[in-house]
Amino acid sequence: MTYRLQRFPTPLATSAFAARTLAVVLALLTAGAALALTGSSPLSLAREVVTDTFGSAFALEDLALLVSPLILTGLSVSVALRIGAWNIGAEGQFNAGSLAAAGIGLFVPGPPFVILSLMLAAGIGGGVLWMAAPALARAYAGVSEIITTLLLNFVAGLLVYWLATGPWLAPGGRAIGTTARIVVDIPELWDEVHWGLPAAILLCVTLSALLRFTRWGYEIRVCGSNPQAARYAGMPVRRHLITVMLLSGGIAGVAGMVEVAGTVHHLQGGISNNFGYLGIMVAVLARRSTLGVLASALFMAVLLNSGIILSTRGVDVSVVLAVTGLVLLYTAIGDEIAHYRIVRGAALSARAAEAAPKEYPPNELAE
Amino acid sequence: MTAGTSPLDPSPPAHPLPARLGQPPPAPQVQPPLVQLRGITKTFPGVIACRAVDLEVGRGEIHALLGENGAGKSTLMNILTGIYQPDAGEIHIDGVRRHFAAPKDAMAAGIGMVHQHFKLVASFTVAENIHLGWEHTPARIRARDLAARTRRLADSLGLAVRPDARIDELSTGEQQRVEILRVLARRARVLILDEPTAVLSPSDAQELFKTLKAFVAHGNAVILISHKLDEVLKVADRISVLRGGRRVATEKALDSSASGLARLMVGHDLVSGANLRGAARVNGAGLATHPVAAAHAVPVLELRDIVVIDSTGRTRLDRVSLKLHGGEILGIAGVTGNGQKELSQVVSGMLPVSAGAVMLGGKDFSRRSARDFAAFGLGHIPEDRLQSGLAAALSVIDNSALREYARPPISRKGWYRPAKARVLAQSIAVAAAVSVADFAMPVANLSGGNQQRIVARREMRIATRVLVAAYPSRGLDVGAIETMMRYFVQLRDDGVGVILISEELDELRNIADRIAVMCQGAIMGVLDPATASIADFGLALAGQRHGATAPLEAPAPQRPRD
Repeated sequence: MTYRLQRFPTPLATSAFAARTLAVVLALLTAGAALALTGSSPLSLAREVVTDTFGSAFALEDLALLVSPLILTGLSVSVALRIGAWNIGAEGQFNAGSLAAAGIGLFVPGPPFVILSLMLAAGIGGGVLWMAAPALARAYAGVSEIITTLLLNFVAGLLVYWLATGPWLAPGGRAIGTTARIVVDIPELWDEVHWGLPAAILLCVTLSALLRFTRWGYEIRVCGSNPQAARYAGMPVRRHLITVMLLSGGIAGVAGMVEVAGTVHHLQGGISNNFGYLGIMVAVLARRSTLGVLASALFMAVLLNSGIILSTRGVDVSVVLAVTGLVLLYTAIGDEIAHYRIVRGAALSARAAEAAPKEYPPNELAE
Repeated sequence: MTAGTSPLDPSPPAHPLPARLGQPPPAPQVQPPLVQLRGITKTFPGVIACRAVDLEVGRGEIHALLGENGAGKSTLMNILTGIYQPDAGEIHIDGVRRHFAAPKDAMAAGIGMVHQHFKLVASFTVAENIHLGWEHTPARIRARDLAARTRRLADSLGLAVRPDARIDELSTGEQQRVEILRVLARRARVLILDEPTAVLSPSDAQELFKTLKAFVAHGNAVILISHKLDEVLKVADRISVLRGGRRVATEKALDSSASGLARLMVGHDLVSGANLRGAARVNGAGLATHPVAAAHAVPVLELRDIVVIDSTGRTRLDRVSLKLHGGEILGIAGVTGNGQKELSQVVSGMLPVSAGAVMLGGKDFSRRSARDFAAFGLGHIPEDRLQSGLAAALSVIDNSALREYARPPISRKGWYRPAKARVLAQSIAVAAAVSVADFAMPVANLSGGNQQRIVARREMRIATRVLVAAYPSRGLDVGAIETMMRYFVQLRDDGVGVILISEELDELRNIADRIAVMCQGAIMGVLDPATASIADFGLALAGQRHGATAPLEAPAPQRPRD
């Protein structure tokens, strides 16, 4: 009786989940080992991180404030992935959205509700605008959106920097490079926590449902999985690609607006706080599940929060960045390993025979 | 290490190799064939790619391997070059049995292959590509010396290349020469070429044939995979025809004719006994005796002078006119690659026409989308089911709904209802006789045959007026083919017009009411299977317009240029 390893085209749900859990645990262990080598006590640090993150209302509020932008940027990247596009530019769209929203908040007078609505519209508009060129270039000229969205990040980031330290700098000569405080706020729900969080969760749930339970969502999934099959079924592939990419940009723009109007209340350089890039990690960790963004955004927020706590204990913040990197690395490895199962004997099992089309001779049968 | 090492001064261009193989030199009187394949069998799950194939290639011979897609040519050559291992059978080189565990073993025995899709690094120079992954490449060498080595190699082998040029600056003909040089530099005595002229201009092709003739003149051999009949007749010494994984014939080129070869490739079976088609033929006799439905006044589908010119400017369909009436099966015969794929895409609304009109039910659909075609009641079983018929990563449920997701009960007011789609998927699976363990799993987990059955049933459901089936029996076993053909007949009897594109002439003759024969993008004629002889089909398949009287072997004047 021989045993051998066989690759299956789709992993079992249980092994996929186990692989992810193992990846997180391993990443934490690796980081712990590194901390132990530098002379800290990883166990006591871990205890402090846990109590400081979940042990007080104040800490939970911080966590909540971190989660909402991560949900939104993660959702932005995840939605684009569903149509087969990599939105590396959530960072730039976040900045564009916060910039446009701040512009309204700073310079347009009016009753709070109207201004908030205008800011939301501006946030969406900024994100959509920032995605417009990459979306059209991809749809009509086949230009890789990975490059274009990435490069536009720097433009948006520097634009925000320039405005916040230059033309829009708060009057009164304060040294900090920010605009004046924006008077209108997103209403608060519970102390510092504002309505941005439930709105983000609601948006995530709604979009997941739309993708799963509407005709539009079905078409998006087919277009993303195999554009040629979508064309065969007569779906407007290009139109869907453009609208979903713009939608993705718009969601990232909303994240920027929420951050400005709910949490920071100024426009300042670096307001995006890498949320756009972290959104890529959130989306990748959530695999193909839009709803899974909620869980992975929470996980990412806990990680970031731990970083802040650790830095107050004299541990370098880069440890946290290392942990996020390790989590992604181990997850990628784990996802691949989850495809493998140990098969007994030489004869192919039924499942294995099903899986075999991948091994067809490439020239003859694929054509 | 400098120039002057062994591969650079072969007594050019001959390849005096046997000593290097570590065998006693073959007896001078009766030389064993250079390559001998004995009983090669190779199966993939659900498919027998090669069945007990014997093949001999002698010194100084250009041996052509003819066959349709899926006939087993590439699999056989992949076995000879060590990419696959045969399930049964033996490979003998110079009369000595060899095992090729990997391509490098075959290369060491002097067998090299030039693939249809070149395996060159586009951003590297010619010299770098020649020396890539070669044991004789010096570990450290300057670019100038590398180019000089390449130039000497090229001169010694009589192949003109520009060593300093980057691959992406070269024409396809030049790239192919680099590929050939790379193989010959590694001292190949057997050169295998897969569809070498598919990418070449006619003058480049002439140049290639000259090179090949010179190569075999020194006692080497060439195996040429092709399905271009005329070029094979011109350049090859002997021709072997594969069909359905079997070698059905080996003939001397001088004794062969284009029509005879076409017949061998497409279906007139010389192998008796365990004939795959045998069962179908017996039952087929009953199937074919269908009183041709009284012609409806308006054809359900009509093509008027359709011309399709692809992005490279080649004419893919050349003034194709066809009428399909409800209640008939129109067969499309032809050697693969003569416009059948484009035809099926045009009649299903996936490929816009350059000129001409597609009429459905008397209305012009030339500018309509594939969705409108489907809404008219046209089902389409595409030839490349995984590429265009299915979304591999989506579930069996989602894939089953591909044609009906926009209509009730699956869709209502813009909603998509997975529960209803699951019901549909289950009924399709039952009708297709496919047992699906988990309908939520990706359709890619199904075997190729089961995917094909699901697609076929899905399309038959919507085909209330027209069904276009391109190679529907590919990947299916005899019983499943039989079942599917019965469904086609049933659809026809229900008044649906069926277009059946097939590479099996027998299959078409059994079931079709009329058979249109395609060659080089044009319809050579529409034949009545009851009265047309095999010879008539052979002539049409070889590019002779039905009814024309020009001699067979003369270049047919009506052929579109390409």
